[in-house]
Amino acid sequence: MKLKPAPLSIFAAMLLITLFVIQTTPAQTAPRRIEVTAKRFTFTPGDITLKKGEPVILVLKSVDVPHGIIFKELGVSTKVNKGQTSELAFTPDKTGTFVGHCSVFCGSGHGTMELTLHVVD
Amino acid sequence: MARIFYSILGVALLALLACIFFVNIKADPPGKAETAVIYWAKHKVLVKNKTQKDPLTDNAAAISDGKDAFSHYCVACHGLDGQNTGVPFADRMSPPVPSLAGMDVQSYTDGQLKWIIDYGIWPSGMPGSKNTLSDDEIWSIVIYLRHLPQAGSLGEPEMYTH
Repeated sequence: MKLKPAPLSIFAAMLLITLFVIQTTPAQTAPRRIEVTAKRFTFTPGDITLKKGEPVILVLKSVDVPHGIIFKELGVSTKVNKGQTSELAFTPDKTGTFVGHCSVFCGSGHGTMELTLHVVD
Repeated sequence: MARIFYSILGVALLALLACIFFVNIKADPPGKAETAVIYWAKHKVLVKNKTQKDPLTDNAAAISDGKDAFSHYCVACHGLDGQNTGVPFADRMSPPVPSLAGMDVQSYTDGQLKWIIDYGIWPSGMPGSKNTLSDDEIWSIVIYLRHLPQAGSLGEPEMYTH
């Protein structure tokens, strides 16, 4: 006597396998969005902690004059006009403390306008 | 004792009055002797930070960054080329605004140039830019100063052309 698996059993087995595969595949996480306000001569918040390897989008908004932000060690930068927003998307690939500076001259305190990123494991 | 004190005070007041009435405050060019003494004093004594090295690498990107930072407001007195091109008052100040390509400036070390940009030079009219520019920007300007373009090659600052 030959044993034939019922079509329903095959379907159930395939469904289970598919569910298992879907569940064990790492989810594509959406980048973390962090709003940063630029105003002469500060970034708010001024300190941000990020995770290494975790995609992030810094949403930079200027409320007074054109500003910018540059993280030389991370190789990323963006500029933003007055009243507008600009997105800086990146994935930190090394741990440490990285200080970004305003990259658009904005007045007497321009040189002190900093945003510090703490990238941790 | 009191007589000596009042005598000294009187002489000091007379000296002060003499200064007020006889010192020339017109922005005339300094004489050769004054220039020589001040040159020596600045290079050897007054301008500090002789040994600090520029932490940035001298390459095309740093020169470009320096040129960009220089254009923030240095150009108002030094011109786009650092040689006063188009600056209408450059030779009407006392002392005149120096050409940054000249030996007077180029003979400073990188550390001294950083110090001058940080703190300025009294009473020349050179302001200090610490905190107005970041350290990175100032060091990049030092690199730009070592690679200034040919005088006049960048034209005049926009603020003086209309």
